[in-house]
Amino acid sequence: MAPILLWLILVLCLSLSIAKYLMGTILKLSFPSTKAQKDYTYQPTVSVLMPCYNEGKTVYETIESISKSNYPSDKYEVIAQDDCSVDDSYKWMLKAQHDFTNIRVRVGRNEVNCGKARSVCNALQHSTAEIIISIDSDCIFHADAIRELTACFAEPHIGSVGGRVGVRNPNDSVITAIQTVIYYSAFELYKIPENWTRSICCISGCLFAIRRDLLLEIEPAIRARNWFGIPVNQGEDRFLTHQTLLRGYGTYINNDALCWTTVPNTLPVLFKQQLRWRRSIVRDFFFTLRTLPQHVWKLHPNTVFTLVLTPLGAAVGSLVVVTMLTSDPLAWASPVPLIAALGVGAVLTWVIKKYSAREAVAHPLAFGAYIGWSLVSSLFLTPLALCTMDSADWGTRTKLQEVPLGNTNR
Amino acid sequence: MAIPTVNPPASETKDDLHPPEKKNAPILQSLHYKLVITLYRVFAITVLYLVLAGIISYAFVMGFYAVNSSWAAPIILSSADEKSLDFREKLVTSQQTIEDLKVDTKKLDSGLAEMKKHQAALLALEPELQQAIVREQTHNRTTGPELAALDQQKQADNLKTQKVLAQLRDVESNITKDLASGLITQGDAATQLAALNQAGGAYTDSKIAQVLLTDSVLDKTTTGTNSLDVLVKQAELRSEVAQLDVAINVAEKQYKEESQQIDRLRQAIQTAKESPYYLNASGEKTLYFAFVPYDNQASAVAGSPIYDCYLNMVACRKVGTLKQIFAVEETAIHPIFKTQIRGFLVQMNLDHAESAKSKTLFLGRKPVLF
Repeated sequence: MAPILLWLILVLCLSLSIAKYLMGTILKLSFPSTKAQKDYTYQPTVSVLMPCYNEGKTVYETIESISKSNYPSDKYEVIAQDDCSVDDSYKWMLKAQHDFTNIRVRVGRNEVNCGKARSVCNALQHSTAEIIISIDSDCIFHADAIRELTACFAEPHIGSVGGRVGVRNPNDSVITAIQTVIYYSAFELYKIPENWTRSICCISGCLFAIRRDLLLEIEPAIRARNWFGIPVNQGEDRFLTHQTLLRGYGTYINNDALCWTTVPNTLPVLFKQQLRWRRSIVRDFFFTLRTLPQHVWKLHPNTVFTLVLTPLGAAVGSLVVVTMLTSDPLAWASPVPLIAALGVGAVLTWVIKKYSAREAVAHPLAFGAYIGWSLVSSLFLTPLALCTMDSADWGTRTKLQEVPLGNTNR
Repeated sequence: MAIPTVNPPASETKDDLHPPEKKNAPILQSLHYKLVITLYRVFAITVLYLVLAGIISYAFVMGFYAVNSSWAAPIILSSADEKSLDFREKLVTSQQTIEDLKVDTKKLDSGLAEMKKHQAALLALEPELQQAIVREQTHNRTTGPELAALDQQKQADNLKTQKVLAQLRDVESNITKDLASGLITQGDAATQLAALNQAGGAYTDSKIAQVLLTDSVLDKTTTGTNSLDVLVKQAELRSEVAQLDVAINVAEKQYKEESQQIDRLRQAIQTAKESPYYLNASGEKTLYFAFVPYDNQASAVAGSPIYDCYLNMVACRKVGTLKQIFAVEETAIHPIFKTQIRGFLVQMNLDHAESAKSKTLFLGRKPVLF
C-alpha cells in the first residue's frame, strides 16, 4: 500500500511538472498576458546590492558588467558588501570602486562573517533607492538588465522581479551542459505558468529586484531567520519571493533581463550547490506547511501546488528511488529513461542553439547523463538536506581558511 | 506565524549603519534550542551513518552478486505447487492415454488376426472355385457336342414317331368301325385304343425329353446365367479379399502408430519422472530444490556441500549437500537484481529445513571465506 501511495504522489508531482512545462510552451506562444506590461519610461532609483564572499577577481568583472548598464548612471549605484572573504575579494571591490567612476560604487565589509542574506541586509542600510536589486557576485549582467527589471515595476501590484540566469560555461563538461539545458527550460518554460499568474515561487538570487519598502518590511524577518537558534543564511532568494507573495504582491521573471553565471563544472561542487538549494526548499516546505491555511487563502492555487508538491515530489522521489533500487535494482538502466532524456535534451539543445546561441550546448546527447544525476539527486539530496538543516555556510564559495560563521553577539 | 528571533550581532558592518538588534533571547528558549539541536544532530548523524552503511552494504551486495558464481536460489515446491499439480495432471492424463492406446492396440491386434484368418480362408476358396469352373467347362466341352448329337437324333426320332402317330389315327377309326360292325368286342376295342393313347403319351414324353435335351445342350455349349453367377461369386470373393487386404494394411499402420505413441508417451513419462516437479508431486516427503543460473553451473556438482549465510553472504554454515542436478532448463527472477535469468534446478539434501527459506545458498564453498 505504502509504495503505491508513494508512486501516486510522485506521479502527481511529475504530472504537475510536465503540465507546467506544457503550459509554459502554450502560454509563451499564445498568451501575451503572460508577459508583464513593461514601461521603460519608469526609471526609479536603483541600488544594486552585491554581497560577496571569496569570489576573487570575479567581483571586479561583475561590477564592471554593471557599470556598462544602459540605465541612467545617475539613477543607480552598486553597493558591494564583503562578508569577510579570506581571499582578495575586498581588494578587487576597492579596485572596482576606483576604476568604474561612471557609476557610484560603495564598498562595505561585515565585521564578522554572517552569510549572504544578512550581508544583503547590511548593504541595504546604505541604500536609499526605490528599487533594490540583489545580485550574485559571480555573475555577468547584460547592459539592459536593470532597465528590464525596473520596467516591470510599472505594474503596481508587482513586488519582486527576477531576471533570467544564463550559463556562461555550457561546454565545460557534461555537468555544465546538463545545467544549461535545465536552466534554460526552467526559465523559458517551467516558470512561465507562474509568470502568468504573477506568482513566481522562487526568483533566483543571481538577479533579484524588489521594492525598497517591501524589502525593509521583510528585512527583520530575514535577520530573524533561524533554525532552533542557528541563523539561516541560505535561500534568501526563495524566502524573499515567498514573503513577497504572502504580503499580497506579485512576483515576476522578466526573461529579457539577462545575467550569466558560471555553473559548477565538477560533481562535488554541483552536489554542494544542489544540497544548499535543497535545504532551502525543505525549509520553505516546512514553512509552507506550518502556514498552509494562510497560503490557501492568500495565494494562487498554482503557487500553493508548486510550493507543496515540488518539495513533496523531491522527498517522495527519494523514497521511490530507494524502493525501486531494492525491489528492481536495474530498472533505471532500462533504455526508456535514457531515450526520453536524450530526446528531450536533443530538442532543448536545438532550441537553445536557435534562440540563445551564447548558451549553445556543443553535444546534443550530453543531456543523457541527466539520468545518472537525477538518480543521485533524488536519492541523496533530500535526506542529506533533512539531516543537515543546521548547516549555515556559503555553500560552493566556502574555502578552507575561512573564519567561522558569525551573526552571534560580540 | 511567529518567527523566532535570534541574537543578532551588535554590528555586522564596519560602517555600523544599521541599528543594533535586540539580544534578549530568553535563557529557557536558548536551552530548549540547544537541546533540540543536540538531539537533532545525534539523530541526523545516526541517520546519515545508517544511510552511509546502507549505501555501502547495498553497493557491496550488488557488486558481490555481480561477481559471485556459486550462489543458488532455494525454491520450496509445495504439494499444491501449480507446476507440480499441472505436471501430475499431465502425467495421469498421459498414463490414461497409454492405457487407452493399449486397449486399442489389443483390439486392433485381435481384429487383424481375425481379418487375416478370414482372408486366408477366402484365398484358399479361390483356387477351388477356379478348379470347379475349369472342371465344369472341360466337362461341358465334352458332353455338349454329344448331347447336341443326341438332340438331333431325338428330333429325328420324334419326327418318325409323329409320322407313325399320324398313321395311328386311321387305325383308331378302323377300330371304331370294327367295333361298330361288331368285328371286335368292346374290350378289344378299348385295349387297342389304350395302346394307341400310350403311343401318343410316349411321343409327348419324347418331345419333353427333346426340349430338355435341347436346353441341356444350350447350357453346355453357351455361357448361361449359372456360369455368370459363378463368375460373380468369384469376383465378389476377390473383392472381399482385396478389401480385407486394405483393412489389414490400415489396421497394421494404426497398430504401428499407436505402438509408437505408447513408446513416446512412456519415454515422456520416463523423462518426467526425472523432473523435480514429478518428484515433488509424487513424493510424500518434503523435497528441497534450488535454482542455479547457468553462470554458476560449474559450482553445481552432485555431492558438493551447500552453505547458508547471514545477510546472504557472511558467517556461513554448512546446511546440506547437493543431491541431484536436473537437466531441464528453467527461468527464474534473479533474487537480487530482479532480472529474468536462465538456469536449471538442483535437488538438495538439507539438514536445516529453515535454509530452504533463505534468499540464496552457496554451492561448493563459503563465498567470503567465513
